[in-house]
Amino acid sequence: MFDMIKSGKDKKPLPPKPMEEMPHVKLGIDYKTWCDSQPHRNKWRYIRWSVLVFMNLLFVFSFWLDLSLLEGSLSGSRLFGFYLMDPFNSLQELLISAKTGHIVHLTTNFFIGIATIVIFYFLLGGRTFCSWLCPYHFLAELTEKLHDYLVKKKKIKEHKFNIGLRYVFWAAFLLLAFFTANLVFEDLNPVGIISRSIIYGPGLILVWVLALLLFEIVYSKRFWCRYVCPIGTTYTMIGRLSPLTIRFELDKCGYCRDCQTVCLVPHELWFVQRGKATQKVHYTGSDCTNCGLCIDTCAGEALKYVVKGFDKF
Amino acid sequence: MENQKKDISRRQFIKASVVAVGSVAAIGLGVEYIKKFDDSDDFQKILRPPGAILEDDFIYACIKCGLCVQICPVQAIKLAGINQLLSYGTPYIDVRNQACDFSCDSLQCVETCPTAALNFVKFKEVGEKAVEEYDKTHDYSDPGYNPFKSQITAMKEAVRMGTAIVHEKTCLAVKGKGFKGIARGAEFKGIYRSPQSKNKRPEPLNSIKFDREICDLCVTECPIGETAIILEKSESGEKVSFKPKILDGCTGCGVCVMVCPTEPSSITIEPKKD
Repeated sequence: MFDMIKSGKDKKPLPPKPMEEMPHVKLGIDYKTWCDSQPHRNKWRYIRWSVLVFMNLLFVFSFWLDLSLLEGSLSGSRLFGFYLMDPFNSLQELLISAKTGHIVHLTTNFFIGIATIVIFYFLLGGRTFCSWLCPYHFLAELTEKLHDYLVKKKKIKEHKFNIGLRYVFWAAFLLLAFFTANLVFEDLNPVGIISRSIIYGPGLILVWVLALLLFEIVYSKRFWCRYVCPIGTTYTMIGRLSPLTIRFELDKCGYCRDCQTVCLVPHELWFVQRGKATQKVHYTGSDCTNCGLCIDTCAGEALKYVVKGFDKF
Repeated sequence: MENQKKDISRRQFIKASVVAVGSVAAIGLGVEYIKKFDDSDDFQKILRPPGAILEDDFIYACIKCGLCVQICPVQAIKLAGINQLLSYGTPYIDVRNQACDFSCDSLQCVETCPTAALNFVKFKEVGEKAVEEYDKTHDYSDPGYNPFKSQITAMKEAVRMGTAIVHEKTCLAVKGKGFKGIARGAEFKGIYRSPQSKNKRPEPLNSIKFDREICDLCVTECPIGETAIILEKSESGEKVSFKPKILDGCTGCGVCVMVCPTEPSSITIEPKKD
């Protein structure tokens, strides 16, 4: 509810804005034609992919070359000696150890690791992890193209679900961990599986990851990331009030909705639709992964990374 | 119209949620079913790294990060594959290929574990006690003052991964045979720090040539020493026979298994039972 008030979704939509100030009107051409005349950018995608590949390779080389820079894997690691913990894994761990009494043995490093991650991703926008670090996101981003192609050719039908399904899975996986006293999710977690596979060597379990990707190609676009992954959901909760988001300026928007097409979480860009925006300026919510695809794709530069509170200057 | 749309989407959400909860519950039932296999005696238990807590707790305490794998200087620790069922991704030691020889000198794998699946508390206490004992008989001002050695000795002696078991049918010593040459062949990649070696770093097993009248590699190469394993000599009349005997001090580190020249090994480690 708080999020709703903050995002301005419950307010009355603004009346249609005058288009005279838009660059394409001044030139007297169609908006789409104007968009196509603008240079096509891939800046943020390449920066993001470089960071993602670099960080994952840093894990690999830290192990292979014994560099001690970033040890461990994405489920738990040590950066220059500072521990970092996967938040959903830790949550399961805390829940089970509270039941069995193991909680008293958990080390200080474990709690330092959780605190560091929570603070870090609170500042950088929770799901930034997804698009900037998660190796499964990277693979899914590539296979997504294939899915889009098949949908376009009408070979398959796109299946959409309610985004709230993630919270159902989140609670269900926590309960599952509690009742079985086992980190079951970690056996199914493609993030951990891929991370371990590239660092410590691949295993038969990669078949599961391939099956997931295949399911996403033929049935539902980005199924795991959008509707299942409890790690992403945990990061959503962490980044609820995060200062780093993407700002939308209604004045520069041409209502083409290209940004929503490329977006992993299109519901976060609800305000780009004609007649939906309730404010001159909107910010994306905590489901946004800060991937920057919308920024790259927007010819009118209506979208931008900002730190909330500092963007006025 | 708008309300009708909302109704449909709500119904769809409930339907999808039921499927979601159902499938997670099915996974839960599957896990409970697989647990039965895991617990059965037929299922080969894997040997956990030093300091591992009871298996029932270990399975959730371990978050499968692999920090213990990375810190081990002899790379004895590996992560289990899916063939180990629910233990997928958790650390184990295959002592026949690479045993834990304590050449890290401080049980680093235990110390590095953030969730105390490998619990360091016991070792810390034991180590501190050893230093206290050492301080009683030594003086700080003495240039040779070095409590570190007694500390690490006490710590490694407190390890209980499992116990060694001798298989007399194949054991060379029991047969009264000696051993000459490279223990596991020139191709073998395992490394360790032999108690006889003056080198501080672990050396490859295939760089050492043994020559024993009666094979006693498991006894002489043991990093713990005579509190863990001895070569028992028994004389009945004219006949003298030998047999390696495992004592209470055995830590289950598995160096004896790694060096055993017979194929298959005449000595194996039985992982600690709860």
